[in-house]
Amino acid sequence: MPAPPPNQSRQAHRTSRLVNIGIPYLWLGLFFLLPFVIVLQISVAEPALAQPPYTALWQWIDEGLLRIEINLRNFMLVGQDDLYLSALLNSLQVAFICTLLCLLLGYPMAYAIATAPERWRIILLMLIVLPFWTSFLIRVYAWIGILKSNGLLNDLLIWSGLIDTPLAILHTNTAIYIGVVYSYLPFMILPLYANLTRLDLSLLEAAADLGCRPMRAFLRVTLPLSMAGIVAGSMLVFIPVVGEFVIPDLLGGPGSLMIGKLLWTEFFSNKDWPLASALAILLLALLVVPFVMMQRLQQRMEGSRP
Amino acid sequence: MRRRRWPLLTVLAFGYAFLYVPILLLILYSFNESRLVTVWTGFSTKWYVELFRNKQLLDAAWLSVRIAAVNATLAVVLGTLAANALVRHGTFRGRTGFELLLTAPLVMPDVIIGLSLLLLFVAMQQTIGWPDGRGFTTITIAHVTFSMAYVAVVVRARLSQMDRSLEEAAMDLGARPLRVYLAITLPLIAPALLSGWLLAFTLSLDDLVIASFVAGPGSTTLPMVIYSSVRMGVSPQINALATIIVAVVTLAVVIAGISMRRGRGA
Amino acid sequence: MATLAERRSLEPWQDPKAVPYLRIDRITKKFGDVYAVDDVSLEIFQGEFFSLLGSSGCGKSTLLRMLAGLEYPSSGRIYIDGVDVTDVPAYSRPVNMMFQSYALFPHMSVEQNIEFGLKQDRMSRRERGERVGEMLELLKITELRKRRPDQLSGGQRQRVALARSLAKHPKLLLLDEPLGALDKRLRENTQFELVNLQERLGITFVTVTHDQEEAMTMSTRIAVMDAGQIMQVDTPTAIYEFPTCRLVAEFIGSINLFEGKVVATEGDEVVVETRVGRPMRMRSFHPMVLGTPVTVAVRPEKMRLCADFREDGVNQLKGRVEDIAYLGDVSIYRIRVGDGALVEMTLTNVQPRTEQALTWEQEVAIEWSPTSGVVLTE
Repeated sequence: MPAPPPNQSRQAHRTSRLVNIGIPYLWLGLFFLLPFVIVLQISVAEPALAQPPYTALWQWIDEGLLRIEINLRNFMLVGQDDLYLSALLNSLQVAFICTLLCLLLGYPMAYAIATAPERWRIILLMLIVLPFWTSFLIRVYAWIGILKSNGLLNDLLIWSGLIDTPLAILHTNTAIYIGVVYSYLPFMILPLYANLTRLDLSLLEAAADLGCRPMRAFLRVTLPLSMAGIVAGSMLVFIPVVGEFVIPDLLGGPGSLMIGKLLWTEFFSNKDWPLASALAILLLALLVVPFVMMQRLQQRMEGSRP
Repeated sequence: MRRRRWPLLTVLAFGYAFLYVPILLLILYSFNESRLVTVWTGFSTKWYVELFRNKQLLDAAWLSVRIAAVNATLAVVLGTLAANALVRHGTFRGRTGFELLLTAPLVMPDVIIGLSLLLLFVAMQQTIGWPDGRGFTTITIAHVTFSMAYVAVVVRARLSQMDRSLEEAAMDLGARPLRVYLAITLPLIAPALLSGWLLAFTLSLDDLVIASFVAGPGSTTLPMVIYSSVRMGVSPQINALATIIVAVVTLAVVIAGISMRRGRGA
Repeated sequence: MATLAERRSLEPWQDPKAVPYLRIDRITKKFGDVYAVDDVSLEIFQGEFFSLLGSSGCGKSTLLRMLAGLEYPSSGRIYIDGVDVTDVPAYSRPVNMMFQSYALFPHMSVEQNIEFGLKQDRMSRRERGERVGEMLELLKITELRKRRPDQLSGGQRQRVALARSLAKHPKLLLLDEPLGALDKRLRENTQFELVNLQERLGITFVTVTHDQEEAMTMSTRIAVMDAGQIMQVDTPTAIYEFPTCRLVAEFIGSINLFEGKVVATEGDEVVVETRVGRPMRMRSFHPMVLGTPVTVAVRPEKMRLCADFREDGVNQLKGRVEDIAYLGDVSIYRIRVGDGALVEMTLTNVQPRTEQALTWEQEVAIEWSPTSGVVLTE
């Protein structure tokens, strides 16, 4: 990196800095950071039959009296009502299980692609990314036709004689797992692949050559070395899935309520903006820890890059 | 290790089957005469005909495409600026915050982004009177906010791989910094800009949740139409739409692949 | 023999009245706490082929980049043709550079690459075309004009890079390891071509290299650098024959070093007592104080076989041949002398013989003249 040059080109450097850093910063500050402040503000307001449907946080009572009302009832409600608590727990559980399933399916796939002959790799990788370019909504929709009680999967199972009565899969957590793994698999495979190709896998073959059994070589060498990819992929799946709406809405049922779906309902059906805001704040608080973890990891990996 | 590859290959095959069978079924049943997904009654293209008569859906698709195009263009500009900042300006004050703001939209659940932006727009309308109502503009702003982060990732990777001495050589030959950027840097990162643009376009075209929050009456995007139709139950029209999308995407990928190969070979 | 005036025009640094074209005045460059270039001053004259020689990390590239305006010094000034350019950005300097990686723009043809700098000067299209043609011809690459950099061989790329950096007719051309990426054969041919080109165009060249042979072949003068500092600036002959410090002596070619101290001075000669054999008698250009610790440095080819060894002979040593390296034109003999030191001697293989002049384990006597080495004080 050349040092900031003096005089006239220092001016150019300063302008470039201002444009490159300032404009995106301003945009993100205005449209990404500021909104959270407003969400926080409305989460302590009270719902009202008005437009917009919440009370103001502060009010000027005449003679210089400013009344600020902070209403914590939304948060208390969430803490007390089983509905919200179980939705919250279910969201975490679903996200955790889905992350694990993505890892179990995604790791061997990423490994197989990373060790495939060079000319195959790009095609195999392309095939992983390709479904991502088609509509997410439509891909989730495809599973309705497959999973419902008179759907293709049940037809197939009954026809093959494995079961007699159709399985109830749609509108359960299982359907959500399938839908999530299906939609989020590329987000697990891509960072894993990037990580594994950076490792020298021939080292591993050398280890096997030296009498280290493949499984052991894998556990001792590859797995620890690919930890960064595992964490990155897991976070890319876990964090958004906790707040997922479309999949639980289309594939889940009343017994598999998730927080994102609940927020949507509070907002659109019940028109309770403050409660929806409170849920958003809670969800955000829940995700801060994994998010910071991911950010740290990312910075560390950049630091170690040659 | 080579001998033990078959378990790995089995998983790989299963994985690809898992990814592609649902899509293939969608395509297959888009040509089914019956309304029921499970029963094959014969080949028909009537769902395509119906699809193209569905004015509501076509209007929504046109709106979505326009939003996606504007979004992608803005996101490429902003994302490229952000990538420049991260790669070219080393450590500046507030860099950590900058990176945080740029990474968060990649994983932030849609419901949070959607809700928070809607509340912002409402608050802005109350205080400064803009945006007046919600629709094209608000959806585009919301989409740019999260898709610029994706563009930044793509462009950043390319930019940090670039040989700095190319830019230095241009400067040495008398080109001022802005000219260097336009004549040397931009053409060299053009492939990343293109894939960033396509990525942002797709992300926008795909978004249901955020758009639902920040859309106003009269601005229904394609995913919203699909969503309401899907909630009604299975509809072969959606299958037909899916088939068209898959065909377009596949065609685009094939063309991109061929032109890339040709570009390398020439 | 050249007259003094002729010599002065060939060697302007000898002329106290000559005005340097490039003057580097006490330049220092710090990266954090590290001094990449440490208080360097240099004067380079019009038409010189000047080399900065040193191992990697010695600061030579940083110095070159400061001349180009790609780095800015922490302190000190740079003057080109009398003008202080220290704060002038790269794009406004009357200087061009050929990069080590060549840095050819991959999305432009050879022609467009060469034209790039001319376009920045808002030269007319016709003039640009003429200049590009001239450059293509000069470097004999006219048939490559439509090609792209990835369709060129290493040697062709080097020519294009050179053409591009010469296209603007700079008065000063900077070359960063100009031959570094070429294979050995090509490198030798290109060395001569580069020198011819420089003489024909009359441009001042400043190159950076880690290859001493390259520097010796091409340069009018060489600056040997180490750890950000200049150790010695001189003509290739002087650098080789009369190094002023051990570091320079050892960096260029191989050399025998004998450590000791001055025990007597006689006229322009000093007597140095070392651990090897009898005290050595050497010519010294500077007066020396008795007892000064010094190093006697003698190149292997300055050693010769001694026919009449005498116990009180001057600069004579007895020893036993321990190693022989046959290089074709010459052979290198390593001879174990007196108290275990190894002395290297090179002999030209005058006669084509199956046997060497000397053989292993042979007892030999060697000698050298007081004028064929130097006494180093540091």
